[in-house]
Amino acid sequence: MSRFACVLVEHFDAAAVERCEPALRERPLAILRARVGDQNAGSESVPTGHRNSAPAAKIMTTLEANAAAREQGVRPGMTETEARTRCPMLLTRPWVEEYVASARHALLEAALAVSPRIEDGGAGLVYVDTVGLERLIGDPAAIGRRLVHQVRAIGLVPRVGLAASRTAARMAAATGSGAVTVIPPGRERATLAKVSIAALDLAPDLAATFGRWGIRLLDELAALPREGLAMRLGPPGLRAHDLALGLDRDPFRPWTPPPFWEEAQGLEWEIDSLGVLAGVLETVLERLCRRLAAVALVADALEIRLGLASGGHHARDVSLAYPMSEVKPMLTLAVLDLEAHPPPAAVIRVAISAHPIRTQAGQGGLWQPLAPAPRDLVTVLARLAALVGADNLGSPVLVDSHRADAFTMLAFSPPAEPASADRRRREAVPRQDDVLQPPPAQRRQRLALRRMRPARRVAVETAGERPARVEARLVIASAGPWRASGEWWDREAWALDEWDVVLADGALCRLARDRFTGHWYLDGFYD
Amino acid sequence: MDECLAPARGEITEIVGGLSSGRTSHLLACLGGVVGRGETAALVDTEETFDPGSAAQAGLDLRRLLWVRCGSNREIALRAADMLVRCPGFALVALDLGERVPRLPTTMAFRLKFAVRRTDVALLIVGRRRLTGSSAALAVETLREGIEWAGPGPAPTRLARVRTTTRVLRARRAEPDRPPSSWWIA
Repeated sequence: MSRFACVLVEHFDAAAVERCEPALRERPLAILRARVGDQNAGSESVPTGHRNSAPAAKIMTTLEANAAAREQGVRPGMTETEARTRCPMLLTRPWVEEYVASARHALLEAALAVSPRIEDGGAGLVYVDTVGLERLIGDPAAIGRRLVHQVRAIGLVPRVGLAASRTAARMAAATGSGAVTVIPPGRERATLAKVSIAALDLAPDLAATFGRWGIRLLDELAALPREGLAMRLGPPGLRAHDLALGLDRDPFRPWTPPPFWEEAQGLEWEIDSLGVLAGVLETVLERLCRRLAAVALVADALEIRLGLASGGHHARDVSLAYPMSEVKPMLTLAVLDLEAHPPPAAVIRVAISAHPIRTQAGQGGLWQPLAPAPRDLVTVLARLAALVGADNLGSPVLVDSHRADAFTMLAFSPPAEPASADRRRREAVPRQDDVLQPPPAQRRQRLALRRMRPARRVAVETAGERPARVEARLVIASAGPWRASGEWWDREAWALDEWDVVLADGALCRLARDRFTGHWYLDGFYD
Repeated sequence: MDECLAPARGEITEIVGGLSSGRTSHLLACLGGVVGRGETAALVDTEETFDPGSAAQAGLDLRRLLWVRCGSNREIALRAADMLVRCPGFALVALDLGERVPRLPTTMAFRLKFAVRRTDVALLIVGRRRLTGSSAALAVETLREGIEWAGPGPAPTRLARVRTTTRVLRARRAEPDRPPSSWWIA
């Protein structure tokens, strides 16, 4: 049984860019990086600050090329001019660290969805411990196909090799003809015999030494006497011999995912409008959500970090009302938050981190009334909050006080359980305030009060203690006073006489007279 | 609220009337009926006159009510109502326009009509006068008929109850039977 799988994404820097711009996948693409070069010499050189000659010029060289570009003869290390000469249709992109880092993490997380033990082998290289997976997935070929499927879901095209050792698995992935290559146990040396030693990625001096000795293939290297290699080349020689035999001497270093998953995008231009920035946010969120969906996770918090042209950063935490992995509500929340808190300068880099969690799907009750879907509700609440302000939105909760109009606002979160369950629970445990409430049949037919906020101070003429005119309008009938007071033990003490009056124009209103100041207030209208 | 005047889902219903005619009490009764069934309702309160105390006394489960306060800005209130009727799942969206009802373009009224039809939300508009014209499936006017006072002595000390009635101004379908008077307990 194969113990390890190796997931290899060739030409990883180019693949990372193709993941961000899928339209580039079928076209020749080269990733360029500026290299400081000597004006007089075409060869690569380090910055030559000690010379007093002309300033060093930046030369764009090819860092990586995709398969289509390689077919046209483009190779890493070529200057941009040389590459374009070989391939006139060549498209170029600058090397962006964020693309590579995001793709590298995405690759690791995709492998983690198949096995809990994986090792980061470098950019575009992941080793997967497959012990025990045969009972869950099937034979090694099935495990390989599962890995290919997971990695393709995040926008990368992998090659997978399975073998008894990591080195043999990597050789199989690098040299295999198909997407999945399986080396049967005990056949590692025979299978890898005709593979070039260049596949081992040895140090240049060591590779040159083997070249002088006439060693070209792995079986030639494996046939060398181990003692002689140790005497002549030391530990590097022994390690190369182990690799040729398909043996792993290094310990397996399991990779654990970070608490936040980040997806980032560097920009070649400055963005100073939120509309354009929303397009970039959507692209980044799409990649992030694809990563989450590939491993059946959702995000319960987002952190947006914008790199600014001024050199600073603008960071925003976007709380999600419920864990989600859909792009649209996330984008809406992010844009609304940035509308309320715009970045102070133009944006040159966008990074979004998500805190991934695993959720369990729930099923609603059969008789449960339809309620807004959480995804729709969170979106409409965010839009309403942007329209009227977050303080003016929510569910009112009465405060335990006799003071008029005493309430607070809570975030709107309707209970998931049906009202009948609430009612049954209340009936099972009678509360004291339920006793004071009228029976349900009477509750429906209560007269509503339209409150004035704040209560409007009015001029009232009285006859005795009863109001006779309100703002020069005749009072036709009145009832009162209904005395109320509270918090006499505190500095916020209050005492009111409430009157219900009918005015000449037919309005039925509630007046309140402050017993401390003698002022009259219009509390509201019965309606 | 009489069943024949209850706002229908997927339709626009309007309740109009003067101050103290009982239109807000009808509104609370509609909200209470919806919330009492375990459904979710929203109230767009243009002038911020909603009294949670009255609603709680009417048996309204405030946890199932989304209250949107618009600071007397009618433009914002209309936009908020437009957003809410496009969110499926709300059984009732109530728009309380208060005393000054704005003029609503016909196109906007049709937008609301088609939005509530698509999402199957009942839109209830309460105000001094009608807003949506022919887009409303039902429009009723509330009228006050009488007031009863209470108190131990000859001079009343408390408002006891108010009697109101309704008049149908427009009914797209068969006109409902004239409902009897309603008593609203203070």
